Amino acid sequence: MKYLTIDTTTKVTAVALAEDGRLVGEGFLHTTKTHSERIIPMLDQLLTATDWSLQELDMIGVVRGPGSFTGIRIGIATAQGLAQVLKLPMIGVVSLDTLAWAGLGRTEDIVPLLDARKNEWYTARYRWTRGEEKAECLTPPQALPKDQWLDQLRELDRPICFVGDAIAKAKGQIEEVLGERALILPEYINLPRGAYAVQAVWQRWQETGVGERVEPYYIRFSEAEVNWAKKEEARRSEGHE
Amino acid sequence: MGGIAKGSECDVMEKSNHEVIILGIETSCDETSAAVLVNGTELRSHVISSQIMTHQKYGGVVPEIASREHSLHLQPVVQQALDEARMTFKDLSAIAVTYGPGLVGSLLVGVSGAKAMAYAAGVPLIGINHLEAHIYANFLPHQDIEFPLLALLVSGGHTHLIFFEAHGQYKVLGRTRDDAAGEALDKVARTLGLGYPGGPQIQRIAQEGDAQAFKFPRAMLEPDSLDFSFSGMKSAVLNTLNSARMRGETLTVPDVAASFQQAVVDVLVRKTMLAIKKTRVKTLLLAGGVAANSLLRQTLSETLGKESVRLVYPPPILCTDNGAMIATAGYYHYLAGDFAPWTLNAVPGLSFT
Ligand SMILES: [Zn+2]
Repeated sequence: MKYLTIDTTTKVTAVALAEDGRLVGEGFLHTTKTHSERIIPMLDQLLTATDWSLQELDMIGVVRGPGSFTGIRIGIATAQGLAQVLKLPMIGVVSLDTLAWAGLGRTEDIVPLLDARKNEWYTARYRWTRGEEKAECLTPPQALPKDQWLDQLRELDRPICFVGDAIAKAKGQIEEVLGERALILPEYINLPRGAYAVQAVWQRWQETGVGERVEPYYIRFSEAEVNWAKKEEARRSEGHE
Repeated sequence: MGGIAKGSECDVMEKSNHEVIILGIETSCDETSAAVLVNGTELRSHVISSQIMTHQKYGGVVPEIASREHSLHLQPVVQQALDEARMTFKDLSAIAVTYGPGLVGSLLVGVSGAKAMAYAAGVPLIGINHLEAHIYANFLPHQDIEFPLLALLVSGGHTHLIFFEAHGQYKVLGRTRDDAAGEALDKVARTLGLGYPGGPQIQRIAQEGDAQAFKFPRAMLEPDSLDFSFSGMKSAVLNTLNSARMRGETLTVPDVAASFQQAVVDVLVRKTMLAIKKTRVKTLLLAGGVAANSLLRQTLSETLGKESVRLVYPPPILCTDNGAMIATAGYYHYLAGDFAPWTLNAVPGLSFT
């Protein structure tokens, strides 16, 4: 079964072509151009280079978040547009689950960190067990204040392998809190790659077997909604007094 | 590098002997809309999914929420438009999409979706300037419009007087230097407690008011200028309301609304007549959200009638943001062979050049 994967949840545009869980072609761009400018040209180039046509595809996978709100939507709109015309089933995977594949086979816990702004990370915790085909999710995806999350990880008293786009900036802070127990992989491994999405999508496809309706996974409400809810709550508690 | 630089003009020749069928997609603000248009005249389907109710409690459009809504609605709206037209992507000649101006996050949903659809369907992509599309909404119900002509575009974000020599050949003669006409109406409506969207609310309540009750200023700028300025006029209303409040008086809301609406319409009409005198055109196209204002239409129609200038405006459904106007503009771009590359990006600040 041939499929395409798209990941635009960070500043990296990652597009890949795969067959039955095996990576066939991969595009990776970490430059200043926008996803919108490079995603279709990248797909076009990959198809040309692999001698594949869109018509051969059987499924389309997309990473649906968390990450950049705009990036999530660009990826999903593109994947949905292609799937709609080609009448293909879709698969949506979580960015953090996808990044767990960067640490396949490691004995440390795998902790992806994605930039969530406001001094927070989108994060989760995974563990690979020899012989298992999927990383076990030990802490589910969430947006957490950086200090709080690092403190929680210190309490665990285990070696931890960090991946994700937020690491470059967080290296010092991580090593200060976790010292020797922190392992930070080089950027070419820890940024989102098409190869990881290819694995995560294939796994998810085998679970669902038929595809699914894909919606963005933001984790966070929009700021306007949060503020409105706060105001409502204040208004209600005033009313009770 | 052939792949990366390649535009989207594949297969055009193949289909050029047949009907021209354009799918138009609009997501620049708070409407997700798609339409299927045949030969520039037959609207086979037109679907508009409005978010007005979603934004109402925030008192205006919230960009992030708008983008989230577009993301959920784009695919079903496009599918409905195709289904109602009894067509599939295979029938299309091209896909036209708004790429600016508008909210960047919202535009990117439409642009990304349209690009993927066009690429997968093997048809060209057409990037549409939303402002131009508002004007082109007039060509859908009126195919007998003659050039040269003048267009008055009035909306919440824009106030432009544009001279058109022919399709795609235009020149901006005047524009607002501060607030757009619709923006000024919205702000006054909000201060009067009339809610959102403000323009229609002002028009509704003004019917019960006296337009002569208050003498608000009419900003005309330099005698020869075709530019507009509404922020001073808006401030005059807000000042009048404030000083009345300080004196403990309450003003009749319908009178304020009617008087301000009259002032805005007076300025729009006077500038338009000046532009018509300068260009000697025989046709005026009215466009944008405020084009639905009945006082503006009525006053223009009376004034233009005396000069035997034809006034054309779209039906109300084509005055709001909609996919049909994108498809209509797209049709004329298609005829001109004006297609977008796969690198097309959203341009939130796009204007007329
Ligand atoms: Zn508009």
